[in-house]
Amino acid sequence: MDTLELCLREGIAGNEYADPRDLLGCSANADDTEVARALVRAVAASDLEQIGTQSIHPEAERHPSVRPPTEVVADPSFLGRLSTSGDEGLSVERIDDVPTLLAVLRAGSRRQRRAALARLGERLRDRRQLHSDAARKAIQTIAELRDVELGCELAQARTELPGAQGRAARHEHDQWKRLAERTEAAIRAFWDGQSNVDAIRVLPGDQRALLLMRVAELPDVVIHHITAIIEGSDGCVPLESRIGLITSLRYARDPRLVPALIAVVEAERGELVASAARVLGGIDDARVHPALAERFERSFVAEERIALAGALGMHGDCRGLAEVRSSLEEKQPRLPLQALEAMESLGSSESTDLVAKFLDHSDVSIATQAARTAARIGDGRALDELTERYNASSVPALRAAIEDALSAIAARMELRGEEAAAIDWSEVGNKPAPRKGSRDSVPAIVLGWRDYLVARLWLLLGRVTWAIARFESAAARRDNWAVPLIGIGMAFARREQYALALPAFRRAIEVDRPRIERNPILVRAMAMSFLHRAEQVEREGREDVARGLVGEVMTLDLRRAPGTVRFELKRKHDVLRREEQGDVHSAA
Amino acid sequence: MSTRLRDAAVRHLQLLGAGAGEGAVRRLTMDIELEGRIEMVTLSLRDGELQCVSSDARNDGPHVLAALRFVAGMEQREDSSPPGLVASIAPRSAEQAPANELADALDDLLTAITRVGVAKAQYAPSVDAALERVISAAPEPTPSGLGRFIGRLQREIRSAELRPMARLLEGASQLANALRTTARTRDTEERLVAWLGARPGSMPEVELLHDRTMIEVGREWLSGTERASLERRYLVDIESGNIYREDRPRHATASLGPCPRQLRVGLAEVESGPSPRRIRVLQYEVRPDIPSESWVRVQQVASRSFAEVAAGYRKSVEAHPSLSEPFALVAPHRIERNGVFKVFDSEGRQLILNRSERRGAVLAFYDMLAEGAEPTWLAGRLTDTGTMVCLTPFALGTRDRTYTRL
Repeated sequence: MDTLELCLREGIAGNEYADPRDLLGCSANADDTEVARALVRAVAASDLEQIGTQSIHPEAERHPSVRPPTEVVADPSFLGRLSTSGDEGLSVERIDDVPTLLAVLRAGSRRQRRAALARLGERLRDRRQLHSDAARKAIQTIAELRDVELGCELAQARTELPGAQGRAARHEHDQWKRLAERTEAAIRAFWDGQSNVDAIRVLPGDQRALLLMRVAELPDVVIHHITAIIEGSDGCVPLESRIGLITSLRYARDPRLVPALIAVVEAERGELVASAARVLGGIDDARVHPALAERFERSFVAEERIALAGALGMHGDCRGLAEVRSSLEEKQPRLPLQALEAMESLGSSESTDLVAKFLDHSDVSIATQAARTAARIGDGRALDELTERYNASSVPALRAAIEDALSAIAARMELRGEEAAAIDWSEVGNKPAPRKGSRDSVPAIVLGWRDYLVARLWLLLGRVTWAIARFESAAARRDNWAVPLIGIGMAFARREQYALALPAFRRAIEVDRPRIERNPILVRAMAMSFLHRAEQVEREGREDVARGLVGEVMTLDLRRAPGTVRFELKRKHDVLRREEQGDVHSAA
Repeated sequence: MSTRLRDAAVRHLQLLGAGAGEGAVRRLTMDIELEGRIEMVTLSLRDGELQCVSSDARNDGPHVLAALRFVAGMEQREDSSPPGLVASIAPRSAEQAPANELADALDDLLTAITRVGVAKAQYAPSVDAALERVISAAPEPTPSGLGRFIGRLQREIRSAELRPMARLLEGASQLANALRTTARTRDTEERLVAWLGARPGSMPEVELLHDRTMIEVGREWLSGTERASLERRYLVDIESGNIYREDRPRHATASLGPCPRQLRVGLAEVESGPSPRRIRVLQYEVRPDIPSESWVRVQQVASRSFAEVAAGYRKSVEAHPSLSEPFALVAPHRIERNGVFKVFDSEGRQLILNRSERRGAVLAFYDMLAEGAEPTWLAGRLTDTGTMVCLTPFALGTRDRTYTRL
């Protein structure tokens, strides 16, 4: 049998091996086809005889439970070696010092920030420590933190907070529970055949973001429905909505989603693979790394490879770094936004100059992403360029991203033991020009307030038309008075008449932008008006208009808007942008 | 029910398409609306006998009668062919491609690989050309059995593993013999159907299933003539413990629903052929949430003897060396956790996991064991390393959590 196996392995055409004809019982002049059939039959029969004859192979006795590394090991600094869990070495779980935890919360990787937040939550559960200075500072930080990537963890941590913050968070959780119950009932109706509408697809964007923010708390039936859509076995959801759902799960960590996402990475192409890879990058699960690595090795589509490289980077595997770097080094990078995003997990201080180059990019989205990437890399050498760009830019969204980046870099420098860069905000930035004193006459002011108060009264009585007329009258009496314009915008926004709310908000932003950006209630209403109106026009097929609306609101400083709204706006912005570039490929 | 009506329907179904060479009609499924209710009616012709099934469970009800009247009424029409230029777009059938052409192409493939040797087949243009010839000689679209053979063969060519390659080539050789045989036996017929699907004139052996509850425990994408061209779902009948596969070629439809799901199957067809046998679910209801009692049944029907699983595997591979990809549901008896994890059955035989395929799933399984999970059942595809039968895990049930898809 050894000779026959050798013949099959090395081929019967060569003369240096024994002729198998004798062994196989073939005549000396039998043709190759006859010999081939006899040879294969003999080897296969011998193989089949042996199946199951051995119960254990010595090699199989070693069952290592090996997980891929989850942190970048190349960085020897404190943050580079800081693991998220474990009783040995540097671990977030073992840090007791609140200022250090707060610095990790600002400067760490996504996993480290999650772990730091969980650790702070644990500390705050000990009511005896609530009145210490450190605890107060932690409470303040958690209440003010607006990190979209930590949406779920932040929402959970805030429910533990005392006072109004805690109550608001618990109220939001109750809202989420009601939404989840409604969705679950609709999903049951869908699979029972009582409805032909996918319950998640019909949700408004912010509601969907809210529902999926706490995906780990959703019951199995909802998760199974989501996985059916991800895998395309629901029978009704079109490709664009499938991609939309996967991008909505961007920061989900639920391992129940992993098999479906891996199926997409293994079997699909283009945007579907890129979206699924970005979700998988953030999930700690042993199944993820082998699937991403295998797909990266055989993928040839640039968009897929960059997304896969970034996702692998989040699992501590930097095999795609050179490719992402070289794509950014091109004179005209083809996918700069995606490459910068990937550099968040792959980049090191060596990439600082490369990333800083994009801070001057004419496209605000790319410049903003460069600021975010610089924040994650956390190299102090970027401080000067960031400050310079902050001073030169008048785009609120970019200035907000740079502010966050400066804070994150300062925190990272502190954790590295470098001299903490104390940022003197009085020196940074050209402050908004001080508002000139009102030059309105006293009668104009008095009459303006009278009209405003009457308008509020009409609103209370439900006479919207009359109220709007009074608001307009108040606005006309004083040139730079945003209050009545905001009143009009809020009145229409509450009545879900977003098309009418937009002009009022636009006029208010023109007159007094900081007033809206700094007020969480106003910025929420304004952002949601833009989002819902964009969804409306998109449904009507006017995608260019939707793209314009989302692009317009994304230039503002939305840090005080709810995380779910910001997440959905950014998601929609990315999707519409890719559609504009024609990058949404079929899943063939 | 009127016998005349039935006879007329049978007569028409037998005639339909047979003359024009368009392919015989074996089954018709229709949505019939009557008195405000829509029901799905399936008329199947098996060995000259007509079977009528309605989704309202009344197999002689008004919807079935209406369907029969519709079919019988078609007899009066002069032209029963479907509208449009069907002939110009009709796929090339097995009859159109001479059977010997495919048999010759398979022999050429076997000879090309054997001449150049398994170790060098990856780089041999003659092997590529032979594979191309097999694909071009096959009916279009490439039947799923033949497509799956090509997918597996290409993988083995890349890995240059001798024994799996010999097994695949032996299967191809058996198919070539079956294609050349003029007096077809039940075995050759079954082989041809498994590889090439049902063809005009063939009488595939099909088992009809009614009113079964099945649970999908795993699914995967498999390679055919192209990568990831076939989605395979594994369904467990929780009454009998039988395992079926539902194959969905890319861009084709199959039953809907997530994995896991519970299917209440009203009507299904099961082909005889390689293990697990292929199922076509015709009437079904889906539940995305599975009652805990159903999971208990899954555990109860799982095999307790790994030796029996191995014996079943060998038998299956012997019958269909190229196409057999058995799937098993096993219930471990004991788990050792002394630094390494070992899973044993009640006879002390150890379960071996295949770590070369779905590596992430195996790692996740060990992670779960490390976290203290106690599997009550484990589902996976069976493979072998020559002497040992291994399991590639797809899903498991534990005491605290009924189901985890790996």
